[in-house]
Amino acid sequence: MYADDSADSQIIERLHRRDPEGLAAAYDRYGRTAYALFVRIIHDQTAAEDLVQELFLRLWNRSREFDSNKGALGVWLLSIARNMAIDYVRSAQSRFSSRLRSMDHVDALCFSRNPTGRESRIHDVRVIQEAFGTLSADEKRVMELAYFEGFSQSEIAENIHEPLGTVKSRMRSALARLRSVITGNKGQ
Amino acid sequence: MTHAEMSELYELYALGVLEPELALEIERHLDEQCEYCSEHLSAALAMTAALANIAEPKAPPARLKERVLSTVRPPKAARRWSFAVVALAAACLALVAFSIASRVAMQRMQTQLAGLTEERNQLRSAVEILSRPETRTVEFGRTENVAHGRVLVNRNGGFVFVGSQLPSLGSDRTFELWLVPTSGAAPQPAGLFRPDQSGSSVHVSSIPVDARTTKAVAVSVEPQQGSSAPTTKPFLIVPLA
Repeated sequence: MYADDSADSQIIERLHRRDPEGLAAAYDRYGRTAYALFVRIIHDQTAAEDLVQELFLRLWNRSREFDSNKGALGVWLLSIARNMAIDYVRSAQSRFSSRLRSMDHVDALCFSRNPTGRESRIHDVRVIQEAFGTLSADEKRVMELAYFEGFSQSEIAENIHEPLGTVKSRMRSALARLRSVITGNKGQ
Repeated sequence: MTHAEMSELYELYALGVLEPELALEIERHLDEQCEYCSEHLSAALAMTAALANIAEPKAPPARLKERVLSTVRPPKAARRWSFAVVALAAACLALVAFSIASRVAMQRMQTQLAGLTEERNQLRSAVEILSRPETRTVEFGRTENVAHGRVLVNRNGGFVFVGSQLPSLGSDRTFELWLVPTSGAAPQPAGLFRPDQSGSSVHVSSIPVDARTTKAVAVSVEPQQGSSAPTTKPFLIVPLA
């Protein structure tokens, strides 16, 4: 088990005991990243604060579902945070309201899946940013539209007025580069 | 779709950018407890979650942490305040209870002291009357089963009424002593008293009783506050002659 995983395990164990200090520790570990993600996606700091509060309340309410030895706390928190933020924007714009995908499978994997070793990469901020910095401007654009706007590949193509094939190609190359730098592997 | 064909799709699925039909196919594999898909999708989720760090760093306001924690626990200050309120309330109640108890005890002691003082004064008066050579003693009753006792009169110092086997009284009633003049005038009030539980009483009065002008000492039952003239027939008349 990685050191970071051990820290998450301790947080989950405290949450299992309904210890508010466990939630405080989770906030200290992921609150800053989640807040920045909310602000980046919804561009509203007040609403971002509301969503951070809701995010950690969700964690408190669902913490018993986490396996303290296998759960991927950070992956779950940031995946849920991103989904909440995109859902917030879409609800506000009254569009795509029915397209947002279910998080059931994400929940199931994060609650009790054996760690893959990549979970600790969440804390490698510098590595992630450097990896993203290696992408071309076009690759960055499609990744930002996908990650921060929640656009599908066809929506991205429509948004940037490029063929769908071009979007897929850029996204495939961007993901390969990120994977290579972040995980040190070129394949899955 | 084979696993090899799906290998490029896990990260797209994790990003949520896959077309619905492809996403559905991956989810079917997951529903079948496909170990391969689970492992690869877990890795893809970890990588896409890490992409949160490409957002421009933004520190949340300091108050946000306390706001988050307030949803699962009351603020420490409130808890301290609640404890302080409870403690203060308990202390106030204890103080009020102690104050009331002290006041009651004090009143009881003052009443007892007043009673003792009155008894001492009466005793002193009685001793003074008894010690005078001109004091006369008149006995009445002389039978154990009826009211009996004695009256000690002094024409200068007053008189002492000592009674036993006195009848019981209602709570709103009292005994009143009367000095009955020889002149035939109306009886003169000479003091109120209540016997103890055994029916005995000693009453000392500073009113001088001159046997030459006072025919008798009488006792009647009167209202609690006493009367200026007998309202009932005296149950006891002690002639002084």
